[in-house]
Amino acid sequence: MYIIVSPRIGTPGDKFEPADGINVQALIDGGLISTDKPKKSSKVKEEPVEEQPQ
Amino acid sequence: MSTSVYLSNPSVTINSVDLSNQCTAATITYTVEALENTAFGSTARTYTSGLANNSITVTLYQSYAAAETEVSVYNLVGTTTSIVIKPSSGAVSATNPSYTLATAYLESHTPINASLGELSTIDLTFTGGTLTKATS
Repeated sequence: MYIIVSPRIGTPGDKFEPADGINVQALIDGGLISTDKPKKSSKVKEEPVEEQPQ
Repeated sequence: MSTSVYLSNPSVTINSVDLSNQCTAATITYTVEALENTAFGSTARTYTSGLANNSITVTLYQSYAAAETEVSVYNLVGTTTSIVIKPSSGAVSATNPSYTLATAYLESHTPINASLGELSTIDLTFTGGTLTKATS
């Protein structure tokens, strides 16, 4: 998956789907798109509840 | 009679990068080579179609800033890509056709083309490939 970096290609952060014949490597090398995965929202893991000894 | 005046709104996209606001000239040359098939008995030369030999030439202002001309062009030298040109930036239509030259080869680029007191420009010529015209 490719992510748009340059506003000359589209909205930065959006997914980039190259059309046929597009030189993707040149876009990556120029820093115009990236191969980074979109950032996921951070999940907060709940702390385990310790059972109290009776 | 209706004519086209190119003031400021043609659209030029090279390898998916919209470089319209760095571009000052664009020329598409749609060529199908002529192969002569004149023979004895002919009274005039005649030709038949050969291979397509298309090209696009653009003039761009040079800029070394992020996401500008240099980073968009430099890595294309020696490779093939697609160029899309429209007379106007509006939607593609019969009166605003889109021309796409696919698998066009960029042989050379002039990263430095400087003259004292002038804005630096570069001329790029993309050759070969298949030219298609879309009207919708």
